[in-house]
Amino acid sequence: MKRTLEVLNALEKEGVFSRYAIGGAMGATFYTEPVLTFDLDVFVLLRQSSAGLISLSPIYEALRTRGYGEEKETVPVEGIPVQFLPAYNSLIEEAVAQAREIDYEGVPTRIARAEHLIAICLQTGRDKDRARVAMLREQTRLDLDSLADVLKRHQLEDKWKLWTE
Amino acid sequence: METVDGVGAEVARIFAAKEQRRRDLARLPFPEKVRAVIQLQKMAATILRTRGKIVRPWEPARARR
Repeated sequence: MKRTLEVLNALEKEGVFSRYAIGGAMGATFYTEPVLTFDLDVFVLLRQSSAGLISLSPIYEALRTRGYGEEKETVPVEGIPVQFLPAYNSLIEEAVAQAREIDYEGVPTRIARAEHLIAICLQTGRDKDRARVAMLREQTRLDLDSLADVLKRHQLEDKWKLWTE
Repeated sequence: METVDGVGAEVARIFAAKEQRRRDLARLPFPEKVRAVIQLQKMAATILRTRGKIVRPWEPARARR
């Protein structure tokens, strides 16, 4: 995964996207026991085109020039299928902006905060998101003030109550 | 769950140990967790293949160029 992260860092440095953070199951695994996943979900803040459109095409093009072609909805980068997800709403934008900086075997990278991962799960609302919220609650020391703030600002308090009471 | 022969207490002890194991796994360093995920992928891939679903475990080492 180290080399995959190096490629992501290079793309960010070159301005292909302005910032990235790991989310999804692998983001959650940073805080919990390891969970099965086959993709590395990466949230990206993209630059808008002159026409105001947001597209993943520049990322795919930049990766293609490095020899990494798309396979279905992912791009295998150094043996790991990366699923790029544009920051499609204010919650994801915030999760990327405030992601934790970590060191992965000497390579810097970012992981979405546990409080944001919970909020994203609540917003997405699938059965597996519910299970992930339960796991994060059980196995992570959450910043409850920060969580309350995120849930309030993104209108997720009712869903949180529904899932946790 | 409690029974006269103490089976309930034993089951409770097993469940508590399993919970502790999960908490211990959650405290592993992230690179070790990534290696564990790859092991899970290999196990799952074998099972899924028998059901006709092809998935590919990560191969970060092989990809070195």
